[in-house]
Amino acid sequence: MQAAPVSALGTLADPPARMVDGAAMDYLLIEAVNALRVSSAVASARAKKIERDMVEAGLVPPPPTTAKQQNPRDSTSSTSGKISGPADEDEGVRSRLEAIGMHIGGNFVERLCRDRPLFSDSLDVIKFVCKDLWVSCWDKQVDNLRTNHRGVYVLQDNAFKPITRISSWEGRQEALKRAKLYVALPAGIIRGALSRIGFQGTVVPEITTLPQCTFQIKLPKNT
Amino acid sequence: MATTSKQYKAIGEDLWKSRTDKINSELFSLTYGALVVQLIQDYEDYAEVNKQLEKMGYNIGTRLIEDFLARSSLGRCSDFREVGEVAAKVGFKSFLNITPTVTHSGAPPPSARPTSTVQQSGVPGSSFILTLDENPLAEFVELPDEALEGGLWFSNVLCGVLRGALEMVQMQVQAEFLSDVLRGDESTEIRVTLLKYLEEEVPVGDD
Repeated sequence: MQAAPVSALGTLADPPARMVDGAAMDYLLIEAVNALRVSSAVASARAKKIERDMVEAGLVPPPPTTAKQQNPRDSTSSTSGKISGPADEDEGVRSRLEAIGMHIGGNFVERLCRDRPLFSDSLDVIKFVCKDLWVSCWDKQVDNLRTNHRGVYVLQDNAFKPITRISSWEGRQEALKRAKLYVALPAGIIRGALSRIGFQGTVVPEITTLPQCTFQIKLPKNT
Repeated sequence: MATTSKQYKAIGEDLWKSRTDKINSELFSLTYGALVVQLIQDYEDYAEVNKQLEKMGYNIGTRLIEDFLARSSLGRCSDFREVGEVAAKVGFKSFLNITPTVTHSGAPPPSARPTSTVQQSGVPGSSFILTLDENPLAEFVELPDEALEGGLWFSNVLCGVLRGALEMVQMQVQAEFLSDVLRGDESTEIRVTLLKYLEEEVPVGDD
């Protein structure tokens, strides 16, 4: 045990992390997905209306059915094509979840890296993601890391925390489908973290069987 | 037997300590903040965002109360005053690890905001005010002028949670923000007013 004054200073400089209940976060995320589904529909309806108005005013030629002009205000959406029906809705939610994840990842990683020395190379960064980021967010480390040493890394988590408790009364397929949507947020967290560190890469999550999840990270060639 | 304020505090502490699944509150704050930003971008209307946050909170509250009752095994509250105590000292503590202070008010309170509470006749209209000294939702948050002018209540989800949770235990309440430090006010306060007690009803066609 350290002497009292020293540990008190230590606590002042580096206060223990404030915690909230995990269940609160789970409930928030569940309802966030629902709320985002509604808000995404509202936003795309508004975008479509603006487009229709512009077409009617003759300012814009009527678009072909496959390509769609992206509403410039939809800055967080990453879709570039139009898919009709519920898939479109899901894409809206998915991209919003990823955007939220990127915000979380970027800001959170700034705090995590505060006392850390600079990263030496991209492998170092990936190892940081596999260990420190994973532990801070999901209470464990990544189970398996594979790389082709050419900028592609595959991270495997055999019991990925955000999806461990997903189940559906409609059956396993439905649960899998929902998990694929929910996992957009963690993918965003990883992507945002990498981006804030300075590596603009892509993160593609993949789930074949719950609760195992893999993330394929592609970092640009010159790093 | 009336449980004292101190006892509720102790219950809250115990519940919090017994929770095994805790996450860093920064993650929580960042998630909520990004969500609010996204909603603002989608709706482009602060009043609508307030409404959506409240609705989201309502849905969360209806689930949260089950979790809360399962963990705490507290019995029915004897009066609305007790509801306030339990909500502040046990509820908020076990989920958000904060203990807002409670101020009770038996009589209909004077309206502090232009939009006054609608009082149903014959109902006591008792209320309590929760004063949050710290708000994990609002860490790192600064509201732009636009949001301030537009009347955004950033943590409005909390009002919904209170409304949803209490509705599941047969109380119809109105929960609203009175002030928010994010808006430059002195403190963050939520007023919860009892509108009426609800009868337990069997849903139509359920038998």
